[in-house]
Amino acid sequence: MYKRYHIETSPVELSTTKIGKFEIIRNDSCLNCGRCMTHCIYDVHKRDSDDPRIMSDPVNHLCKNCFSCIQNCPYQALEMIKNKEFEKLGNTYWTPQIIHTIWNEAEEGKIPIFGAGYRGPFRGSGFDDIWTDMSEIVRPTRDGIHGREYIATSVDLGRKLPWISDFAKLDLTNSYEIQIPMLLDTSPLGLNSRGIILPIIKAAHKLGTLAFLDIENYFDELKPYLKSIALRCSLDKITHLDRAPWREANFIEIALPQKYSISELERVLKKLKSENQTALISLGLTNPSLSAGIFKQFKEARADILNFYADNHGQSFEGNIFICESTRKLQLDLVKERMRDEVTILGKGGIAAAEHVPKIIICGADAAVLDLSLLVAAGCRVCKVCKIDDCPVELEKLDPEIAEQRIINMICAWRDQLLEILSAMGIRDVRRLRGEKGRAIFHEEIERESFEFIFKENGPVK
Amino acid sequence: MKSVEIRNCNSRFHKNIGKYTVSLKDSCFHCGLCVEICPYCVFDRIDGFNHVSTPNSAGCLGPDCKEGPYYCTTKCPVDAIKIELDPQWKTLGDFRWTPDLIITTWQQAETGEIPRGNLEYRIGASGGGFDVFDFTIDDVTAISSEEIDNIITSDKISTSICLNRRGEGPSIEIPVPWYGAGMSFGSISLPSILARAHSAKAWKTFTSTGEGGYPDELIPYSNHVITQIATGLFGVSEETIKRTPIIEFKYAQGAKPGLGGHLLGDKNTPGVAKMRETVPWNSLFSPFPFHSVYSVEDHKKHIDWVKTINPDALISVKVSTPSDVDMVAVGSYYAGANIIHLDGGYGGTGAAPEIAKKNIAMPIEYAITKVHKFLLEEGVREEIVLLASGGIRTAFDIAKSIVLGADGAIIGTSDLIALGCVRCGNCESGRGCPRGIATTDPELEKQIDPSWGAQRIINLYASWQKQLKLLLYKLGLKDIKELRGRTDFLKHIDEK
Ligand code: SF4
Ligand code: SF4
Ligand code: SF4
Repeated sequence: MYKRYHIETSPVELSTTKIGKFEIIRNDSCLNCGRCMTHCIYDVHKRDSDDPRIMSDPVNHLCKNCFSCIQNCPYQALEMIKNKEFEKLGNTYWTPQIIHTIWNEAEEGKIPIFGAGYRGPFRGSGFDDIWTDMSEIVRPTRDGIHGREYIATSVDLGRKLPWISDFAKLDLTNSYEIQIPMLLDTSPLGLNSRGIILPIIKAAHKLGTLAFLDIENYFDELKPYLKSIALRCSLDKITHLDRAPWREANFIEIALPQKYSISELERVLKKLKSENQTALISLGLTNPSLSAGIFKQFKEARADILNFYADNHGQSFEGNIFICESTRKLQLDLVKERMRDEVTILGKGGIAAAEHVPKIIICGADAAVLDLSLLVAAGCRVCKVCKIDDCPVELEKLDPEIAEQRIINMICAWRDQLLEILSAMGIRDVRRLRGEKGRAIFHEEIERESFEFIFKENGPVK
Repeated sequence: MKSVEIRNCNSRFHKNIGKYTVSLKDSCFHCGLCVEICPYCVFDRIDGFNHVSTPNSAGCLGPDCKEGPYYCTTKCPVDAIKIELDPQWKTLGDFRWTPDLIITTWQQAETGEIPRGNLEYRIGASGGGFDVFDFTIDDVTAISSEEIDNIITSDKISTSICLNRRGEGPSIEIPVPWYGAGMSFGSISLPSILARAHSAKAWKTFTSTGEGGYPDELIPYSNHVITQIATGLFGVSEETIKRTPIIEFKYAQGAKPGLGGHLLGDKNTPGVAKMRETVPWNSLFSPFPFHSVYSVEDHKKHIDWVKTINPDALISVKVSTPSDVDMVAVGSYYAGANIIHLDGGYGGTGAAPEIAKKNIAMPIEYAITKVHKFLLEEGVREEIVLLASGGIRTAFDIAKSIVLGADGAIIGTSDLIALGCVRCGNCESGRGCPRGIATTDPELEKQIDPSWGAQRIINLYASWQKQLKLLLYKLGLKDIKELRGRTDFLKHIDEK
């Protein structure tokens, strides 16, 4: 029976993510008059439960920066400063704001909605140099997530044959449909405890997508979820291809080291195909600049999917190219070679916010691989150096059910935001977004188009 | 313009926010010298008291005051005055609305004067668009203050624009090149709406109902209130269409382009629901787009429909800024619109998904240029009025929009800032704005007295008009209409 895809969310709070942006300081001039209490509608100010004559310390993480208490205090006893703990979160890419947003999405499973316009910088680098388009009048009726009409977010993994020439020789490779253009990765920080792996895989299972798992981290408890696992191994370590779980997997990824021999790759792929005829074969690549020749080799070796790895800041491991640019180039190259539909493209690394998913798809990927964001959903603070034994949130000890629900919540919020983007564009199927450069506005291009004539003589365009 | 009365209109709070904190060390022996010398009333001694009161830090100019003859810290005989940067300063505002912009907007709302201190009142810190443009005039202080007074009080420099440039229909002229954006009853409180309407009337310009119906309290201002017809058709009736000089079709809005409107359930109080003819406490979604308009021809039918009801009204069409915004604008022209209102992505006051505000559709700066150029090429530019909104914060933003090709601007957030908004962004849910501006909570909305609010907005507009006059004077122009398209007056801020 037809069932509309739906993600079940439920709010999950986590005490370790209660880090507010602001800190309210009450100084000695306070006369405990209680006026701040009436002015704060977010319950930051309360009387001491033991001694109601005095005010207790402000509950900082609830403060929403409205200045009402500060400006209404008759004795100038209150002041607001930035919360240092908040400012210390993450790094330059995984900014405190990004982490905070994911935490809220993971807690509520809802699209972040605020009043009062946009507050950020005009533009930034990477993903922040792209605006998505909208469609003004002439287009089918669409009410976004509250809509009457369904917007499809499922994508197909695997090659699409340009035509079928001979039914007898039909390639047995399946294409595999995932319900959201997002795959999950279990080892963003190289952590491999069950407490982290299990919730991610279970979430992928519930969400109707796949989660990458390195073969050495496979354990028997995962067996029921095998259909939702993308098994991964490095080409130089791959062995025992004739055993479980290789033979039952749906999706197998071979991570290519920086240097590898193509004949070795061909040999392994052949062996894999003979042991497991239906699995999709993906190649994990660190170098995003590929020549047409290499593509042909991959195609002949019958790779269905190319997964481009970037680091957690979205920079490629080789050549230091940002994931948007490399994906854009790849898309163009493949289109030029008329090979675009014969391979699925995934991008992994630096996908840190809901808008990154549609943007990487616009650049040419079929789907995005989420990694570090999943840990952040579970409460990770993206410390400068991850020392898991000394983790401030004890990530590995987190209740797996809580972690799983928070991951699902975040992905639901991301999917709903993807729907918002698609709906604004009047696109009903995320598959149609792939490579739709024309439905995006790139900073460099629009800046040139709009302002070059003004600043030709008196100022730089960029 | 003599009808606009500027009156001092102080903040409604005990404590104002400033950039510096001034404190007195223990060595202070309360001689009271500082009370006498500081012209900004930072120090005070209440009659009959021995002690100098806690300094009112918000008035302090900080180190810039050193230049003047009254720098208190060096005059204090026991060196007891300490001036530091207030750490709180960093918690106010954001990239687009910097603390400087918020505070100087408050100052203008208080005094009606061009800000004189050291705070930046013209430009934000977003790092793009308006914030990287500057005018090619070298010196700000080259004119004497008397001369400035002459320029800004005389009628020799005109800032007025006409809202109908077609050969037919009523001619409506507004003395300043802007009017107020639609903010619905429901998104903001009735006192805030009344404050805006009152100031629009005083300035003989306009404000718009937004998509929340037309409260009866607005009827006395009806000559200055635009009736908005938006996709949800909330509260639109024949009477409200008949009573207005301008009808605004809202196709889309910059903050949530292509997504219709949201009013979260919490804010749909019984009063709001009655006005919108809906069920209280339910979230209200205006659809997108008009389900009866899928082409320019449909659009024309819409316009014919309201013209039948009110033949004397001007028609404004509000659209956001997709990459084909130029086509949309020309289509609206052919459908019969008098005003094309472009709403860029970075502005907005209502509830909107963060992802939409940041990512969907282009910033207004690009859209103005694009549409202006295209209308010129099509040969219809002189028949239509192009207004810009969505991220226009200051008099200088207005001037820059005009330089890029607009005739004028439409103002939303700045009005709210004048009423005391701090841009905390909490307007959308729960009881709404804790400061009583964008709320429908009967308790919270009492914080705004409409006549106080009106005066604040009147003052802000007065300061803006002075700035525009001064700018035109410095550029050697006599009329704001001459400024349109003069991109030769613009330079990039990175240029030395
Ligand atoms: S309003 Fe000021 S003085 Fe009164 S309780 Fe609050 S902090 Fe203390
Ligand atoms: S600033 Fe606003 S939210 Fe924060 S404690 Fe004060 S009144 Fe409450
Ligand atoms: S809630 Fe905050 S941002 Fe919204 S109107 Fe009130 S003060 Fe301004």
